[in-house]
Amino acid sequence: MNLLRLKAIIRKEFYHLIRDYRSLYLAFAIPLILIILFGYALSLDVDNVGTVFVDYDKSELSRDFIRKLGASPYFHVSGLLPQTKDAIDYLDHDRAKIVIVIPPDFMKSIRADREIQMQIIIDASDPTFGNIIRGYITAFTEQYNQKLLISFLNRQGMEQIKTPVDGRIRIWFNEDLESRNFIIPGIIAIIIMIVGAMMTSLIIAREYENGTMETIKSMPVRAGELLLGKAIPYFFIGLTDVLIAILLGQLLFGIVMKGNFWLMIASASLYLSVALSLGLWISNVTKSQLMANQIAILTTYLPSFLLSNFVFPIINMPKFLQLLTLFVPARYFIDILSGIYLRNLGFAYLWPSMLVLLIMFSLLTFFNYRLLKKEGL
Amino acid sequence: MSWLRIRELVRKEFIQLFSDKRNRVMMVIFPFIQMLIFGYVVNYDISNIRVAVLDDSKTYESRKLTDSFAGSKIFHITNNVADERQLTELLLREKVDMGIKIGHDFASVIRRGDTAPIQILVDGSMSNMASMRVAYTASVLDKFNREELRELYPMNMSYGKVDARIRTWYNPNLNSQYFFVPAIVAVLVMITSFILTSIAVIREKEDGTMEQLIVTPLKSYEFIIGKTIPYIILSLGQMAAVIVIAIYWFEIPLVGSVPLLFLATCLFLLSTLGIGLFISTISATQQQAMMTSFFFILPFFMLSGFVFPIANMPVVVQWLTYLNPLRFFLVILRVIFLKGVGFDVLWPQYLVLTILGTIVFTGAISRFKKRLD
Repeated sequence: MNLLRLKAIIRKEFYHLIRDYRSLYLAFAIPLILIILFGYALSLDVDNVGTVFVDYDKSELSRDFIRKLGASPYFHVSGLLPQTKDAIDYLDHDRAKIVIVIPPDFMKSIRADREIQMQIIIDASDPTFGNIIRGYITAFTEQYNQKLLISFLNRQGMEQIKTPVDGRIRIWFNEDLESRNFIIPGIIAIIIMIVGAMMTSLIIAREYENGTMETIKSMPVRAGELLLGKAIPYFFIGLTDVLIAILLGQLLFGIVMKGNFWLMIASASLYLSVALSLGLWISNVTKSQLMANQIAILTTYLPSFLLSNFVFPIINMPKFLQLLTLFVPARYFIDILSGIYLRNLGFAYLWPSMLVLLIMFSLLTFFNYRLLKKEGL
Repeated sequence: MSWLRIRELVRKEFIQLFSDKRNRVMMVIFPFIQMLIFGYVVNYDISNIRVAVLDDSKTYESRKLTDSFAGSKIFHITNNVADERQLTELLLREKVDMGIKIGHDFASVIRRGDTAPIQILVDGSMSNMASMRVAYTASVLDKFNREELRELYPMNMSYGKVDARIRTWYNPNLNSQYFFVPAIVAVLVMITSFILTSIAVIREKEDGTMEQLIVTPLKSYEFIIGKTIPYIILSLGQMAAVIVIAIYWFEIPLVGSVPLLFLATCLFLLSTLGIGLFISTISATQQQAMMTSFFFILPFFMLSGFVFPIANMPVVVQWLTYLNPLRFFLVILRVIFLKGVGFDVLWPQYLVLTILGTIVFTGAISRFKKRLD
């Protein structure tokens, strides 16, 4: 390793970047756009679900039922319609997600201790949404029934009956249950992949395509120096992006890292190194920018988005995909991010994930080195 | 306009695309892999909540409570722990999603007719999953309570209650694949047409062959047509391939009309090819083009209702989604696939796609021509 030669390569790559200033802009603009989009616009939380009622009973009890449901933060009663037909129309035109039909003898049946059917229709075209709403509404009616049971027992002369069990539910790690709190840190993993792997996937292929690889080969530059020199400028861009993401998350959205900042920087650097060596490897293997580009999307961006526990829970995937996620670096980094951001975990907990990243990095670097050696560098 | 010149350019483009064997393989494998992964990844069906139980009571009652969790298909009791430290540890290490802590006086309090509190710790890090866990927990507890009351007060229990008949419309089995697989078709078409078109033009610039093309008698609009036709064909081919996978592999019923589907794709391609051309006018290198494509693809993707429901977005952003052709294409795809309704219902979507496509495409062409002339 010769520092002078290394410096020359870094300078060359740096000039490439500066002269191609649009790529550089985008390397900072894409993280910004992602953070702002995810922070402001995108949420996976389901609350205030538009609900319309058709109340055929129009009794004291039916009005109470509607009021109780509306009081829950999960539902928002957006209309009271005279006919089921009208309500279905709401559903068809996407103006409501739930239709609840209260039958005409609702109060009479309940008072007469008879079970009464209530028609509830959920728009499940988005199954994620449909599933959550079904869970909410089931929980709501069960709770409602429990109250009816208690009042029934009280009426039977058994005063002061209490519910046997009271579940005191406490939410850990993401106390206010905001999807933002886990998505924004997760974006850091995506950003690093876009900047680290996708951008670098082109930079050795470019040399081959332009024929400048021959020039480099004829120079005294060694394989290690070339790799390091190509990676270092992108390493700094990547790390700056991480800092921007951390800062914006905190300033704009109040997402505070519970764990140690330096541990975060250390693991981000490690993951960034994996991303860079992955990008360079793709570049080395394909030697064509178009190919590299396609493969980079397929092997870096999409898996970090889909197979990393970022928004799609790995535990819900079929077994073969769960196995596949073991080879996705982002999976380990998202694990670390969740540990540092939400769980306040230290190195004692996070080292296994970091170790895997380290192994990935070493392997990829070894492959890169060998490929370039074979080319005669 | 000379069709001969266009044809030759198209031929050149195809030769360039397919001369590289790896490229050929890529064109086929790329959509396949994406389709398969996407198709299986997106699954929010809750069926596997891992629960750790700390039972200090160890009584008939406490066991009945844990059994009622284990008995529901959704919860799985994976760990029985002896102390609180272990419980915390399991939650911290993401080994379980939920912890239940039953105090030592649990049974005696219930037998006394009082309310026994139990502590339920839920990992909230993925908030949407956590909300479902909370809702299901509440259901299990309510059911347990009712049974317990019935046991404590043995008497006629036919009390008036609500029997919720919940029906899930449009996707009765709540099958995630029904919703996501048709949408993947759109995303694949988008990525291909965006990136390949822009790179096809840039490559000429980078290789210096653009100068050669300019000195040929090729007119600028012929150049544009010749450059876009291969990618229209390629996108439509990919589209057909992934639709076949959707139908035969994922067994998504294609209820509606196939020609309407392809019409929508062509209209959608107007926008994406237009943007691809636009990107090629503002980029000088392939790296730039790729990054710029991503700059467009990300918001298109996120603000389309593909994964993130539009109804959840702030109103201003919801308005913004009306500018997103992918949003309308997704509606068309999902509706044609699943509901099978025709043009009479979908015409507004087609209209918007046409308008957006025409604006984007003519805008891009006029900019592109200025660059060429």
